[in-house]
Parts: sequence; structure tokens; C-alpha cells
Amino acid sequence: MNCSSADLKAYALAEMPEDERVETREHLGGCGNCRAELERLRLTQAALLSVRDEDIPRRIAFVSDKVFEPGWWQRLLQSGPRLGFASAAMLSLAILAHPFLTPPPATIPAPAAVDTARMEADISARISTVVVQAMAESEARQGKQARELVTAAEKRLDLERRGDMLAVQQSFEVLGKRMSVMLTASAGLGGAR
Amino acid sequence: MEQARRGNVDSFNLLVSRWERRVFNYLLRLVANREDALDLSQEVFLKAYQNLGKLEDASRFAPWLYRIAHNEAFSLLRRQRPGAEEGVEPPPATPGPRLLPVETALAVQAALARLSADQREAVVLKIYQGFKFEEMAEILGCPVSTVKSRVYTALDSLKETLAPVGSKL
Repeated sequence: MNCSSADLKAYALAEMPEDERVETREHLGGCGNCRAELERLRLTQAALLSVRDEDIPRRIAFVSDKVFEPGWWQRLLQSGPRLGFASAAMLSLAILAHPFLTPPPATIPAPAAVDTARMEADISARISTVVVQAMAESEARQGKQARELVTAAEKRLDLERRGDMLAVQQSFEVLGKRMSVMLTASAGLGGAR
Repeated sequence: MEQARRGNVDSFNLLVSRWERRVFNYLLRLVANREDALDLSQEVFLKAYQNLGKLEDASRFAPWLYRIAHNEAFSLLRRQRPGAEEGVEPPPATPGPRLLPVETALAVQAALARLSADQREAVVLKIYQGFKFEEMAEILGCPVSTVKSRVYTALDSLKETLAPVGSKL
């Protein structure tokens, strides 16, 4: 061991394995510089330790208060092993209970043999029915519309006819009045002669 | 410990009584304020009580507790000095021929304050709390090599000012 490899601080702080400690001690026996350096380190430690710890001004003590006490859930959450054990136990229980709690699967009927000819006939019949029904509905709609149009036309013609008759009647009345006026006038002329 | 994990307050109070002085002094050396250190200590033990169920290995209680304390302290330091982790620079110590205890304390305080927050915490955990490098890595959440580097760098810095102080004790 030489001066550079001698860890005097570790030696002074008692952070050195015993075998290295023996080697360092042997080196110190023959090296004045390292002895002086170690002496400075020890004086430094002595100076630091001459300042003693102080007494605490007030003692610290806790009273039983539910506010500060950890709750059961805090204790449970803070306890890693216990929580792990509880999780494993719950998982095991779930695995064991699963077959008893799960309802049996519903039986799915096997698919019947497919009769394509019958299916086509059914489909054709259904289509025919639907088409006939649609045509009937369409014809009914058209008939209804035609009847409505005829009715409306009849009403319109009736109104026009009544209007014409009223106009003829008024013309006759006007004509009658004019004739009476003319007759009255001609009678007046004959009396004067 | 097992009863405390089940929420037994009396058992937890027993744990508190064993650790409160050490935790308080650790926090005091980090935040350099008694009231803050006391408030933080109470927070640390309250969080420890509420989360004790998360601690799977009871033998790791100390690093686990100091990890909570570390988080609380650095959370406060970030709130107090956002973006600056360095301690307040005290006046340089000028040790005389023979130092009184108060002068030694001031010199140590000044030397520690010159370190970065990470280095100061590493020294506190190693020198004052006596943790091993592996435990410190667990508390600080960083590799052992980083812990070792912080402690060694801090010792090199402290040695310059505190070795003369130590020689006058």
C-alpha cells in the first residue's frame, strides 16, 4: 500500500473492512505524511463532536385521536404482503366458485336441412301476394282519385249552370222592365193625340 | 414496534421517546433554528405514525425515519430559500490560543454553514448520527458513491478550519 491508495478518511470514519484496515495501519506506521493527515482528520472529527446534541425543548407525545390514526383501509393498503395475500385468496375463491355460479350454456339447436326449392316457392308466393296487394291498393287509390275528380267537375258544372240560369233570369227581368217602360210611354203618347 | 404498526399510540410514544432527541438534533443542524426543528420533528413523527404500516422491515426503522426527516427538512429549506441550498454565511471563525466551548461551537457552526446543504447533511448523518454509508444512501435516496463523495469533500473543507480548532480543545 502507498499513500495514494491509503483511504485515510474511510479509516478515520471506520468505513473500512478489517483486512484493509490492517494494511492501512501498517502503512501509517512507516509514513509520517499519512499519520499527519490522519491526525488532522481526527482533530476535525473531535472539533465537530465537541458540539454536543441539544435536549429537545418540548417532548413529543401523541394522544389517541381517531383523526390521526391510520384507518383500517390505510393499514390494509399500506400492508403490501397482506394485500397480496388477500388478492390471491380472492382470486382463488373466484376460480373455485366460478363453475357453481355460472349458468349452464344454452343448447343451440342443430341447423335443419335446407330445402331450397321450398324456400324459393315460399319466396315467390310471398312476392306475388305482396305485388297483388300493392296493385290493388294502387287501383283503389286511382279509382278514388278519379271519383273525386268527377265529383269536383260535376260541382263546378252545376255552379256554372246555376250561374247561367241566374244571368238569363236577370236578363228577362231587365227586358220585362224595359217593355213595361215602353208600353207606358206609348200609352202616354196615344192619350195626348 | 409491531404494536405501534397496529396503531397502538402508547407503543408509538415509546418509539418517539427513543428517537426524538436524535431526530431533533439532526433537523436542528440542517435548518439551524430550534422552533423549526421542533415543528419538523413533530411532523416527522406524525408522518411516521401514519405510515408505519408501509415499513416492511422493522430493522430498517432508523433509515426510514431519517428519510422522512430528510424530506421534511429539505421541503422547509426549499420553501425558505427557493433555489438556494447554501446556509447563511456566518462571520469567519478566528480561533485564539485556547477556545471556550461557545467559541468552538461558533467555529463548528461557521464551518458547517460554509458547506453545501447536501455536504452538511452528509456530515451530520455520518459524524453526529453515526450512520454507515449504505444507510445514508437509503436515507438520502442516492448511490453510496455519491454519499462517500459528499462526506469526503466536506471533510476536506472542514479540515482546513476545524483541525486547528480541534488541536486547541
